[in-house]
Amino acid sequence: MKKAATTPPVIALSGLTKRYGVGDATHTVLNGVDLVIEKGEFIAIMGPSGCGKTTLLNILGLLDHADDGDYFLDGRSVDTLSGGKRAQIRSSQVGFVFQNFNLVPRLNVIDNVALPLTYRGVGHTKRLKEASKMLATFHLSEREYYMPWQLSGGQTQRVAIARALVNNPSIVLADEPTGNLDSRSSHVIMEELADIHARGNTIIMVTHNPDLTSYASRVIRMLDGKIDSDTKVPRAQKPETAPKIRLDSLVKPVKKSGKKKGRKK
Amino acid sequence: MRLLIANHFANAYESLRSNRMRTTLTILGVTIGIASITVILSLSSGASRLVTSQVGQLGGSTAIVRPGSPMRDLQLSDITASLGGTATVSSLTEQDLITIKNIPEVEAAAPLMLLSGSLTASDETPDKSSLVATTPDFINITPLDMIDGQFIDSVTNQETAVIGAQLSVDLFGTEQSIGRTFRTHGTTFTVIGIIKRQNNPINYNNIDLDHTAIISLEIGKNFNQGVASLQQINIKSTSPDKLAGVVEQTKNTIQSNHFGETNFSIMTDDDLVRPSNELFAAISATLSTVAAISLIVGGIGIMNIMLVGVTERTREIGIRKALGASNTHITWQFLIESLVMSSAGGVLGYLAGYLAAFAISRSFLTFDPAFTWTIAGVALGVSVLVGTLFGLYPAIRAARKDPIEALRQYH
Repeated sequence: MKKAATTPPVIALSGLTKRYGVGDATHTVLNGVDLVIEKGEFIAIMGPSGCGKTTLLNILGLLDHADDGDYFLDGRSVDTLSGGKRAQIRSSQVGFVFQNFNLVPRLNVIDNVALPLTYRGVGHTKRLKEASKMLATFHLSEREYYMPWQLSGGQTQRVAIARALVNNPSIVLADEPTGNLDSRSSHVIMEELADIHARGNTIIMVTHNPDLTSYASRVIRMLDGKIDSDTKVPRAQKPETAPKIRLDSLVKPVKKSGKKKGRKK
Repeated sequence: MRLLIANHFANAYESLRSNRMRTTLTILGVTIGIASITVILSLSSGASRLVTSQVGQLGGSTAIVRPGSPMRDLQLSDITASLGGTATVSSLTEQDLITIKNIPEVEAAAPLMLLSGSLTASDETPDKSSLVATTPDFINITPLDMIDGQFIDSVTNQETAVIGAQLSVDLFGTEQSIGRTFRTHGTTFTVIGIIKRQNNPINYNNIDLDHTAIISLEIGKNFNQGVASLQQINIKSTSPDKLAGVVEQTKNTIQSNHFGETNFSIMTDDDLVRPSNELFAAISATLSTVAAISLIVGGIGIMNIMLVGVTERTREIGIRKALGASNTHITWQFLIESLVMSSAGGVLGYLAGYLAAFAISRSFLTFDPAFTWTIAGVALGVSVLVGTLFGLYPAIRAARKDPIEALRQYH
């Protein structure tokens, strides 16, 4: 496999295999995945349910271990890392966005966003400042002291993205980030992701929705634990496929509709 | 790796506050355990402090002689048993007293002769009273403050008595009873002095001075067919460093008086304190063990509620782990939550324990509970220990949760 001598790829996988179950019941979820992801890519992983997308994402995010194969993160093998070290990498290099948002229900919006900073040892005041800054970029400054259940789905997911980005991760892992949202909110979220991609972040997103692949720079299709196809999307194509809704035009109306939704809930 | 202690405390406070009822009940469990331990320790150390201070007042130059064989180890009963119990077979005689007085280094020696019988003034006959015959030297060895009047001395009339303040109230309804009279053994005694309230029924004289009438040895002998039957002789040496020599000579002289038989025992300060302190320690250890059981129940309460909390927050644990929390972080988060509960129980229990100890001592006992840093330390230390012991398992369980499983859980 190729390992660039100058700057190693953000993620390099070779022969990654993951099995569940024992004996007769063994089920191979990932069956020898080879993949190289360079810095700054926006990858959409597609495929039918049970093809191993989420498992792959969990392994990339160091929440899960592979049974076989190598995983190099920033050129370093992660196989031998201790639990504490893996947690440290999750805290400093990985940002997670989940389908069901996964905000801590007990904490308000700003505390949720500040949570990853806690585990990096950032002081209380600085944490809140950073979180507030991050929320401002997502146009959520007015919602800082709302509780998660007081937000609409789209707002909740934007809070979750803000939280994923607050400690400046080198990769953002999104597992069906729009799975629980209507199409309008979905596009807002995708615009946000495209925006952070434009700022140079590496994004790996699992999705079922073929429409959303138009935001990605590379689309990977998986089937039965293997990579079925791997296509780079030409950059020129992007404005054509997603020209209709731009973030700036959405900001104000969305905020209003968001409020109404919040009340309906 | 940073442990984020301050953050965990804020977190624990938040989560405990959101479940106020069950937090209160869990803390109550620990409070009761710690309170009972505090009651036991403070009362028993109060009691042992009382004896120690009693003996401390003697100034290190006092020895006491008691009838009975010294062959066995000194028991608490030797010190606190009522003198009446050994009265019938006392081996100490007036002759012993005289020979002890003749030892050059003896500054003073006073006999104690307990007499049976009740005291009566007009129609009052107090249930709790004792009659003791001694010599004027008694007050030189056991310093006593008088409310009024004087102690018996060599020139006072035989038929006079010095009484304790409470006995005065029981007999005459007042502490001002100089000149009043009471009857016992067919003789009428006039009160010439009232002893100030002592409030310590446990002392090396084995008499509760508050309830005692003191008369002279001469008339005491008359009530006993003219024979002095002494339950105790108090000896004071001229200085503390001469005490050992005095004890030795006393032993020899009494032995020769008793035809070589050692049917008496001599005790000095240390001997007097040690067995009682050992006994109080043994009693408090036994009671504390019983109280520890209630503490274990409190600990189980903590463990139980922590396990519920861990299950309830499985998803939160998954989220925190995905956001970069290590197992150590999660362990501390839950451990500190249980520590906050148990230490709160410890502090409340310590305060409640002292209130209870005071209530008990004021209503049933004659001494106050002791305040020592040791007891505060034990109360807090034990509560922290309980929090750690019973919080560790739930905390480790929380930390060991697989983040993927945890994130999959809905509630």
